[in-house]
Amino acid sequence: MTPGLVLWVLVALGVLWTAAWAFVLVRSRPGPGFDVIEPVENRLRLRLLVIFGGIGLLVFALSLHAYPYPRFRARALGAPTETISVLGAQWGWSLSRNTVPARVPVEFVVRSKDVNHDFAIYDSSGVLLVQVQAMPGYANRLIYRFERPGTYTVRCLEYCGIFHHIMRTTFVVH
Amino acid sequence: MATSASPYTGTNGAVLRAAIGYLVGGFATFLAMGMLGLLMRLDHAGILVISPDWFYRLMTLHGAGMVGAVLLAALGGLCAVVSQWVRLSARALWIAFVAYMTGMGLVVVATLLGRFAGGWTVLHPLPFDGRTWSLAAALAVYGGYLFTALGLLIVCVTLLRGTTAACGGLGGALALRYLVSPRSRPQAGLPRPAELIATVIAIDGILAALAGLIYLVPLFAEAAGVVPAVDALFAKNFVLLFGHTMANLSIYVAAGIVYAVLPVYTGRPWRTTWPVVFAWDLIIVLMLVNYSHHLYQDFAQPLGLEILGQLGSYAVGLPSFIVTIVGALALIYGSGLRWAVPSILIVLGLWGWVFGGLGALLDATLPINQVMHNTMWVPAHFHTYYILGAAAFAWAYLYHLLAGLSDVPGGRGARIAAWLYGVGAAGFVIMFFVAGAHSVPRRYAVHLPQWQIYARVAVPFVLLLAAALAWLTVDMLVRLGPAWRRTRVPLA
Ligand SMILES: [Cu+2]
Repeated sequence: MTPGLVLWVLVALGVLWTAAWAFVLVRSRPGPGFDVIEPVENRLRLRLLVIFGGIGLLVFALSLHAYPYPRFRARALGAPTETISVLGAQWGWSLSRNTVPARVPVEFVVRSKDVNHDFAIYDSSGVLLVQVQAMPGYANRLIYRFERPGTYTVRCLEYCGIFHHIMRTTFVVH
Repeated sequence: MATSASPYTGTNGAVLRAAIGYLVGGFATFLAMGMLGLLMRLDHAGILVISPDWFYRLMTLHGAGMVGAVLLAALGGLCAVVSQWVRLSARALWIAFVAYMTGMGLVVVATLLGRFAGGWTVLHPLPFDGRTWSLAAALAVYGGYLFTALGLLIVCVTLLRGTTAACGGLGGALALRYLVSPRSRPQAGLPRPAELIATVIAIDGILAALAGLIYLVPLFAEAAGVVPAVDALFAKNFVLLFGHTMANLSIYVAAGIVYAVLPVYTGRPWRTTWPVVFAWDLIIVLMLVNYSHHLYQDFAQPLGLEILGQLGSYAVGLPSFIVTIVGALALIYGSGLRWAVPSILIVLGLWGWVFGGLGALLDATLPINQVMHNTMWVPAHFHTYYILGAAAFAWAYLYHLLAGLSDVPGGRGARIAAWLYGVGAAGFVIMFFVAGAHSVPRRYAVHLPQWQIYARVAVPFVLLLAAALAWLTVDMLVRLGPAWRRTRVPLA
């Protein structure tokens, strides 16, 4: 799912909720007694439990296929053919290579030299594509397939000290 | 419950004074931290330039201060509410207050004087490895958290002792017998919703405070050179179990206030029904299992915990929405709701709790988190259910308490200010969501020119919010003196 799409989902859900909320406020004028409303509320509660519970389980099941972890990505994209090692350190990135092939699954092995960082890849139009934490003492494997050649920007997305915001680099997909 | 504006009796005057101390202390801290927030948004907008060093120090203070302030105020409100039926020790509450404020003071010193800029989440090992501040500054922050956790612990133990004594033990305070056999609804002896909620949050507050205290031991040991480096993943799990629960607690504490105050303005009772018992007893567990949604991008975290994080995040939304939100709306519908500052702030809080919750649910969905984590989407959702949730409920209660005790109801101007609080806050948080959807990183001192537009749109809303708050502050200040004196006079 792209970030832009997520916003529209929030807008849609937010409009629905705001309409329901406003409806109740408009109907807050003296009306039917609570003895009339309480049974309606109980029926509504049960219905909402079934509906939302069902939606939650469905979304969970669907989301499993798009999990970002290596075993899920390897199944979806194929086994990675290239490996790029990444080291984050206050306050910069070093990549073992600056060119990455397009349209094949590649693997970033992400480590940190000092504190926690977050290796996040932005496309040339500024959209965040993928990310993984860089943690001291761990090697996190991020598998991804770049569809479009171009220049990509790496930014740190885990606060790591007062020059966190300048911790960026670029690489080329061709 | 009686619909009188002032249901407080003289017997709990001492507790009410402590509660006013918590609420006013929390509100004043909230205003000060809000000013820092405005400065940071002006920096994001490119209107004001703050050096990275100062930006991150202010950011650290803002985060720690806000979490502390809102929780303190909400706890004060809940103590005042339950003190109508439950005996609480005013002395214990004041001791906790001193511990809590000492902790906050240490954080102020560490950031403003000690140059500490490790973020309020103190993600290990950054506090020990910050390069621009000393180990002493980091230890001052940890010491501050120690005192704050201690204060929380004392309040929670005080609440738990009070409710269990009033309800015949822990089982009674959690209505466990009624929970397991729904047909056995007793005619009397069920805890009121606020008592049940106070018990639930006291249990989780004690667990969170203990998690924080246990977590600090290896860190102090590392600083003293007794043990080697603490594992980063272990540290992250513990700090979020403590920090996430601390932050989460506020909204549930504040919800307890809503259960007690909304009936006053709707003239309808909020009874301890079986769904209320079920939802809140369940929240004891659910509040503690979903913190893992902060660790989705730590691929080294066991998969089972990540899945638990996602399912737990979905699950905790269900009882809150279906029982508390739907319950509140049912209470309002057709009630002839009396519009006053507290009831306006409560309905705004209901809106924000759900809207912020929707943003949180999306972000708790793992593939979405992959492209939203640590963008502005994250501050978007928690600012929503702070400023238009927990904080709105707490200020509703503060106003309700001061207006009730001083016998000076709010005027038309104050009601308009309360609505403007909602408009300002909504515009402010929506711009965070929009920025997050455009991949703008959170916690950046410098925003690229193409990112500044979101903060520029947000700033006028923040100023509107500030104006509304200024009005409400003056309105409450004039009631503070009479309200305080009234707590010393036994009420009829
Ligand atoms: Cu960083």
